Amino acid sequence: MNLRPYLGIFNRSILLLFVYIFISALFMNFSDTQSLRGIRWALLQTVERVEELKQFFTIRRNLATENDLLRKENFDLNIENQKLREMLVSENKRLKKLLNLKEAGKHSYIAARVIATSAERGYRSIILDVGKVDGVGEQMAVVNADGLVGKVVIAQDDQSIVQVLMDYNANVSARLQNNRENGMIGWSGNSWLDLEYIPKNIPVAKGEVVVTSGLSDIFPPGLKIGYVLAISEEEHLLFKRIRVKPAVNFNAIEEVFVIPDYTPEKADRE
Amino acid sequence: MSRLNFRYIGFFIVSLILQIYIVKYVEIASWKPDLLLIAIVMFAIQYGQTAGSTAGFFLGMASDLISGGLLGLSALAKSITGFTAGGVAKFFQERIQFVLTLLISGLLHDLIYIFINTLGKGILWRVIFFVHIVPNLFYTALVGLAINFLIGKWLKGHE
Repeated sequence: MNLRPYLGIFNRSILLLFVYIFISALFMNFSDTQSLRGIRWALLQTVERVEELKQFFTIRRNLATENDLLRKENFDLNIENQKLREMLVSENKRLKKLLNLKEAGKHSYIAARVIATSAERGYRSIILDVGKVDGVGEQMAVVNADGLVGKVVIAQDDQSIVQVLMDYNANVSARLQNNRENGMIGWSGNSWLDLEYIPKNIPVAKGEVVVTSGLSDIFPPGLKIGYVLAISEEEHLLFKRIRVKPAVNFNAIEEVFVIPDYTPEKADRE
Repeated sequence: MSRLNFRYIGFFIVSLILQIYIVKYVEIASWKPDLLLIAIVMFAIQYGQTAGSTAGFFLGMASDLISGGLLGLSALAKSITGFTAGGVAKFFQERIQFVLTLLISGLLHDLIYIFINTLGKGILWRVIFFVHIVPNLFYTALVGLAINFLIGKWLKGHE
């Protein structure tokens, strides 16, 4: 039996494509091995060096130290402000005051610079110039002066990868600041975030602040996520559709802070 | 290796560097052009499916290695894209060949990439398509037309 005409469709181009698909699938399956991580981090080191060189030529480096201090101070004040506003509307505030517990500056922060963003469309991550040696670990919250940025998904010795909120796979337990209703916030490819699971009978105002709920092992409560942009209801749905404008401009993140010491138990104590 | 191939290798390297360091500055509402896709499509149109899929694989792998994403995903999407671009290009007249090939293969690239990246997640494809994929594609096509106009002939060797 002559199979040649049937095998004809498998010409060199198609066979080569299958080889590439096969190799890609292998990499996808084994992408987390130590040796591959080593190669990736070596390349990221190069990316960081170039980024540093670029900063040198734009004279930013000369101002970096002073700038960092000011940003840190600004950040601390912003966070304190956010926390105070959050606590003003919270019953916990009164209870905590009664207990005379300290609330401001309850976390320590690790300052980090963004050295690269994902080169791919549809995948949102940023790479930081701090890692395990600086105290950064996986599943730690990342914030900037405007609010919640995301969480660390991979931490290496001196760099780490952060999954930002505007990623398809990022979901955060969130709370409406005024009425304390909890929901889940995520991204579905738009310029806004979607707050889900808020029942129709809960009044929600446009412009209301959305914060982290604290019902998570990763994100401390009260971190600003964004503002309610639009609210809509559909007859066949139990919950409102709420669009949230992110507090953070994800296109212009340069410096962030990692929260290394958050544990839910600690938050409860505080 | 011919001189033309060296031009393309230079083009690939420059595209990769620009994609990492510069493209973020021209991002509009989360839409950004994909310079690697443009480079792969231009290469595939000139040299065919085998060359297109090879360029796609290696550029995709380079992108994966430095982007922090799932290793191999971009390589997979871009090798299929390069193969497709090399195949469909011959069906179009030269005047519209580049832009149509770029749009078709870019669409395929984004569908593969987002489908695998969001496997198991209930995403709204209608939203993804109209809010994310289509604007990105048109942005990429605009930038691609400019690049093709500026250096297309040089890359082909018609100086």
